[in-house]
Amino acid sequence: MIKEILKNLLTKKSAIPFPEDFKGNNEMLEIISSKKKIETGFKRSIKIRQVDSGSCNACEWECTALSNPIYDIQRFGIDFTASPRHADILLVTGPVSRQMELALRKTYLAMPEPKLVVACGDCAIDGGIYKGSYAVTNGAANVIPVDCCIKGCPPSPSDIIQALKKLLDALADNKAQIK
Amino acid sequence: MDKILAKAKRTKEYLNEYYIEIKKNDFKEVCSYLSHDKNAILRMMFGTDEREIDGTFKIYSVFTIYGNERFFIIYFSLTEEDNAFPSITHDIPAAHWYEREIKDMLGLIPDGHPDTRSLVFHDAFPKDSYPLRKDWNISDADLEEWGKGIAKKRPYNFMEVKGEGIYEIPVGPVHAGIIEPGHFRFSAVGETIFFLESRLFYTHKGTEKHFEKLGFTEGVKLAERISGTSSYSYSCAYCMAVERMTGAEITEKAKAVRTLLIELERLYNHIGDIGNMCAGTGLQVGYAKGAAIKESLMQLNERLTGSRYLRGVNIIGGVNKDILLCKDDIFSTLSMAIKKYKELMKLLLGTVSHVERLENTGRLSKEIAQKLGVTGVAARASGIEDDLRKTHPHLLYERLAFEEHVMSKGDVLARMMIRAEEAECSISIISSLLENKYKGDPAVQPNNIPGYSSALGFAETPHGSLFFWIKADKNGRPLRVKFRSPSFCNWPAVPFAVHGNIVPDFPLCNKSFNLSYSGCDM
Ligand code: SF4
Repeated sequence: MIKEILKNLLTKKSAIPFPEDFKGNNEMLEIISSKKKIETGFKRSIKIRQVDSGSCNACEWECTALSNPIYDIQRFGIDFTASPRHADILLVTGPVSRQMELALRKTYLAMPEPKLVVACGDCAIDGGIYKGSYAVTNGAANVIPVDCCIKGCPPSPSDIIQALKKLLDALADNKAQIK
Repeated sequence: MDKILAKAKRTKEYLNEYYIEIKKNDFKEVCSYLSHDKNAILRMMFGTDEREIDGTFKIYSVFTIYGNERFFIIYFSLTEEDNAFPSITHDIPAAHWYEREIKDMLGLIPDGHPDTRSLVFHDAFPKDSYPLRKDWNISDADLEEWGKGIAKKRPYNFMEVKGEGIYEIPVGPVHAGIIEPGHFRFSAVGETIFFLESRLFYTHKGTEKHFEKLGFTEGVKLAERISGTSSYSYSCAYCMAVERMTGAEITEKAKAVRTLLIELERLYNHIGDIGNMCAGTGLQVGYAKGAAIKESLMQLNERLTGSRYLRGVNIIGGVNKDILLCKDDIFSTLSMAIKKYKELMKLLLGTVSHVERLENTGRLSKEIAQKLGVTGVAARASGIEDDLRKTHPHLLYERLAFEEHVMSKGDVLARMMIRAEEAECSISIISSLLENKYKGDPAVQPNNIPGYSSALGFAETPHGSLFFWIKADKNGRPLRVKFRSPSFCNWPAVPFAVHGNIVPDFPLCNKSFNLSYSGCDM
């Protein structure tokens, strides 16, 4: 064991680095839910249910990447769950195609209160490039109440982590500057 | 070929596209001749609304013959009153989804099609409403009702298997993991899957119609967002089609950059997919290692192009960045990636429990794959030599020495091995690309798009062959943008591959195909 550690130190084995801009970019997140809702008591651990409402799949892959060894989102107390019944946050990606609208609504209704909805990616915020197509509803806010938006097409994993962490901080100490 | 030419009303050749107009009633015979006597592959089939030109709808079908670089594009006209055409599905099973799609989107009826259910639209979409017709309109009330999804205007009868001990498991559209939406119905006996019916098109976003609204330049952005993990291939194929319409030839340098990036895309996809298959067998360490290598390649993508999905590089007429200048970065990242990748493969192939799960699971026979026109990794793992890079050399592929990898067994293991070999092949292609110098500017100024011009664009994506067919109207704006994603022809093969497997192996089979829902659902 000690030999291994020494070897690693000597050979300067390097892990895959975090992207450099990990600490930058404060404009990624926009919290739009009311102060009252924020104060309703999440602590520093949340479960997320992700629903693809017709995305191009790049946003999903970024969410999947959150669990890889480089980002490892569990260390922040954030994790994805399979059941909406266990979830605190509904993370929506995609412009909400009309054929997914019902499924998205049902998932939202299946979640216990208090719950938050995060629109992840430009599509989920306002339809993105698909805005105006007959088959989409131009964003999750037109279907269920959205509390927070993460911009980007797709937002990179570091953007998503940072946004979620900020949201958690806001939830935990109630001192968030809510726009 | 003489047999077809004798029936042709008109022929036109443009680059390697050979347009042959025939009479509607000859359609069946011509297709049957091409497919059975010439062993041609049906690459795509689609309808267009060209009433503003000559008052007719047209149905096109694109065939390729092995060993021939031409695309044979057979087409005929239909009118609004006389809107039925002979279905070729009985003869060429690969046509079945295309014909159903034509019916849903344009209201042209495939006469004698064995399955007349709606493919694209779900229960609440209005009847007799065809979005790709130019005079189509839909009321807000109808749209709202479609979204609410309750009224059954197009009831869908799932196929049922009856018998003692058979039960049905419905899954989706919302799944347990972070994946795209689709609905699956398993009819199982005990653990064994007896029958699977999948219902897709939940992510239908009206993409083909949306292209018409955006125009050609904006269209590049949309093409990049059809299917996330193949963003670059899609934009290449799209740009290629538009460039061919204008008659412009892109420079050698632009071709080199495109080839390099498309191979980078294949590389990160293949390695990511191999890692993901480990999640299907519960080999967490393999999954984590695969994901880590993929992540380092994605970060390379971001450093090179500013986008982890290689978006925003292609423009009509070339590329807007000279990636070849970042030679050192590419070299050093790749050499690290290949070292880790070799370790990963050694680990996977040395883990008996992993390999045993993959062996003989999800077998797709060559016969079925051929009938359904399966493409990409799935086809090559079942013994079909189908690689557009070889059969229709585009970009710089003609000049590059590389091998086509084919296996015969058609199981999950074969699909993994094909990916593994192709990933190594991509690395060697990239290195050989970096060794040379290329002439020309990254981009040329594209010419105007001539009225009523049309052209094909194609690319070999990590998932298989991709085609675009684009036609302009008289002002040089898009009249019809049709694309055929590799997933569109591979999805129908999945139920055949999982038949006889156990339900817990379905995710593994599914991962081994790794099909895109968004690309398929248009
Ligand atoms: S925001 Fe961009 S990446 Fe995300 S689903 Fe939409 S098009 Fe895809």
